Amino acid sequence: MDFVSNKGPQLQQMLEAIGVKNIEDLFCSIPENIRLPRPILDDGMSEYDGMKHMEALSAKNTYAGFDNYLGAGAYEHHIPAIVNAICSKSEFLTSYTPYQAEASQGMLQIIFEFQSAICAMTGMDVSNASLYDGASACAEAILMALRHRNDRSKILIARTLHPHYRAVVEQYLASHDFHVDYIPFHKDGRIDQEAFHNLLDHSTAAVLLQYPNFLGVVDDIKALSSQAKKCGALTILCANPLIYGLFSSAAELGVDIAVGDCQPFGLPLQFGGPYVGYMACKEDLVRQMPGRIVGETVDTKGRRGFVLTLQAREQHIRREKATSNICTNQALAALAALIGILWYGKEGLKKLALTNFQRASYLKSKLQSLTNFSSSEAVSFNEFAIDFDRPLEHIMDHFRRHGIEPGLDLGRYYPEFKGHLLVAVTETKSKMQLDHYYKTAVAIRGR
Amino acid sequence: MSKTIFEKSQREQHAYSLPADEEEFQRFLPPQNLLRKVPLPLPEVSEIDLTRHFSELAHKNVGIDNVFYPLGSCTMKLNPRVNEWAAGLPGFVRTHPLAPEETIQGNLQLIHELLEILCYLCGMTAGTLLSNAGAQGEFVGIRMIASYHKKRGEGGRKEILIPDNAHGTNPATAAMAGYTIITIRSNKHGDLDLEDLKNHLSDRTAGLMLTNPNTLGLFSSHILEIAKLVHESGGLLYYDGANLNPLLNIVRPGDMGFDVMHINLHKTFSTPHGGGGPGSGPVLCNDKLKEFLPVPKVELVNGSYKLVWDEVGSIGRIASFHGNFGIYLRAYLYAKLHGNFGLRKIAEASVVNANYLKKKISGLFTVPFSQHCLHEFVIQADNYIDRGIRAMDIAKRLLDYGVYAPTVYFPLIIKECMLIEPTESESLATLDRFVDIMHKIVEEIQTHPELVKTAPHTKPVTRLDEVLAAKRPILKHLTLNL
Repeated sequence: MDFVSNKGPQLQQMLEAIGVKNIEDLFCSIPENIRLPRPILDDGMSEYDGMKHMEALSAKNTYAGFDNYLGAGAYEHHIPAIVNAICSKSEFLTSYTPYQAEASQGMLQIIFEFQSAICAMTGMDVSNASLYDGASACAEAILMALRHRNDRSKILIARTLHPHYRAVVEQYLASHDFHVDYIPFHKDGRIDQEAFHNLLDHSTAAVLLQYPNFLGVVDDIKALSSQAKKCGALTILCANPLIYGLFSSAAELGVDIAVGDCQPFGLPLQFGGPYVGYMACKEDLVRQMPGRIVGETVDTKGRRGFVLTLQAREQHIRREKATSNICTNQALAALAALIGILWYGKEGLKKLALTNFQRASYLKSKLQSLTNFSSSEAVSFNEFAIDFDRPLEHIMDHFRRHGIEPGLDLGRYYPEFKGHLLVAVTETKSKMQLDHYYKTAVAIRGR
Repeated sequence: MSKTIFEKSQREQHAYSLPADEEEFQRFLPPQNLLRKVPLPLPEVSEIDLTRHFSELAHKNVGIDNVFYPLGSCTMKLNPRVNEWAAGLPGFVRTHPLAPEETIQGNLQLIHELLEILCYLCGMTAGTLLSNAGAQGEFVGIRMIASYHKKRGEGGRKEILIPDNAHGTNPATAAMAGYTIITIRSNKHGDLDLEDLKNHLSDRTAGLMLTNPNTLGLFSSHILEIAKLVHESGGLLYYDGANLNPLLNIVRPGDMGFDVMHINLHKTFSTPHGGGGPGSGPVLCNDKLKEFLPVPKVELVNGSYKLVWDEVGSIGRIASFHGNFGIYLRAYLYAKLHGNFGLRKIAEASVVNANYLKKKISGLFTVPFSQHCLHEFVIQADNYIDRGIRAMDIAKRLLDYGVYAPTVYFPLIIKECMLIEPTESESLATLDRFVDIMHKIVEEIQTHPELVKTAPHTKPVTRLDEVLAAKRPILKHLTLNL
């Protein structure tokens, strides 16, 4: 099938109007020796066949049948029904980037509200319209800091930053002459403050930390950022934004650039994307910010309206001098996140964060009570590492046989954490499910 | 006046619900010293008010479902709803990106097959779906070119050549990847100036980034010669696939001589643009560059699909996980529904539509390039300047007639230009209506130029003060800090 409107009679009429005999004449600028012959057999599908095909593919994914305890940057949360209802509205789903502001006030106001919500949670002064994902948000923040501190060339990155994010940052820095040092951590998952102090110097442009960090631990960010500040380095904090519902905001922690992924609000796991990166910063950094920014203004009659603004930073105006090459961002995913945030609202977000903290703490403490298993005493949020102290392969198999995907094998990224699982618990896990996890773990210990 | 959601807050109202709490959970409390001191300055809104707020905003926005959207270079075609249906299937929605391979065979099969389809269509041998948008695809491609030269001991190639009519992302990408940008002139036919190209090719050339058909909607008939010249200088050819729509099953970038390319799936393959994303920008390449593709990759081994997380030679990672899976799965279904047969029809109909529209409105404007165009064309609204009317005014007046405006003032090299792309989706009647509207606007320019100059008149707002917005930036709800 196809979605082409014009059929034989219209095409004929149009070709006559154009003044050519057949369609091929319109392609005469293409060298003949590389032009392909027209396919003869219709190898397409009907809509019904296409739907059956997709259902069959979807059914090959058996993952949905497991109790999911995997997190590591992608979290299973309840998605309010209103999110899809609004995101599937034609006016949002099928519109382009709001270039013609007068016909795009809806999307422009949405971006303005998204920026406001991000500022509300992080406590920062300004936010952009979104970036691709958490990883690219980290990379863009580093580049932004290096432009701001263009007399400096060293970057410090916590080893406890998501390993995938670290790799993407390296990708963005690979063609440039900057030096990256990684900040080590203690056995309990907290950043080694003394080592950090030793690495930090007056050539350091920025420090990139995660909150909670990849191992689930809530570090003393304030202590780290104030050390950075003394050296004149910017602090970039990559955070699961849900933590801001309960724990200190980025502004309270002395952060200069707040980044992360809004996936926990309104976006399903969907195999890793689309998610939506966010970036907010202090006011004096705004002209170094990458991506779209929406601002409030007035029309010729003095009425309030919204426009894309500070565009002199962007690729379509500045070309090679732009702050980034980003053009398309994640607008519809940002809308989903915005609705998720608003649905919970002022009180709900705090309660959601607390619920996540409590359910994770419940499972963590139950597992800690088992003599052979241990977990760090450091404060965690909705994810924690647990040491099973034996090869994980059989343990994972055992859990899976009981319908549980028990978490991430940390040894895959940190050799020193061989035998550790990283377990994420959100509001989607009931006491019954958590107790099932615990009992399944007890059975392992008994063997 | 339009209220923001923050201004609709009413104390203690809310929409959320949370699962029942358990006593055993409640004894866990985070340490006081780590808690936020400033209460969350978020609005308190009920579900009905939240719903109405966004319905109100929807009325102030338009998409391809609502109006004709001839935005040049953006390929605003129908976004079939069956794609949305497929993207919502639980097997896709509920898979974690780090889930074990054996539980995600459907996803991995889809990735593997989509890459095969795209490689076939483009004449390439391998690819990746990881890049989250066209511009990120460009970055991946340029990083692969850098790795290629480095491996051959030619890391000194530090220049990327880019035509003056290229999308802004091309020079911005090359700069991000650490290259010096050399701009190549267009000649009076709208084609790349071969002499200028020859003058700039050297042992410093890493590659040429080219869009073909270019941003004027013109296919470069010298493409094979261009490719030969670049390759002879030791450089590589990057194909910006933003304009791939008119070439589907007509001609393949690989056969034109390109080494690496990206596709904007939200253009050619109908994935919804969502008001500015999420997009998806797969990168495809030939054997020369295959080894540098980013990770993770999907491989088919003895009938089951495997994920390769690391590989020697690869440029490494580009995305948090597997890119915008939920987007490229829509493109996959779109390609399957059409088959090669249907995809060719897209290319043909898009080119017929563009040439028809060009012919029909060419009497009203300056037509800088008279030859047949492919999927889009440029006109210049420079013949009404003496009446005080510029391209932007015509664009704004179009909004009043219930169509979206074409791309204006791009490409930057054409004065008062409008770049018009009707796509294959549109019917003859829609195109004729657009022609009628253009005639009416030109008539208005003669009789009531003020009407055009102050347009739009029927939208929620009239023209907005962009200077004020930049001079005194208000970038968030103002009382947020109260």
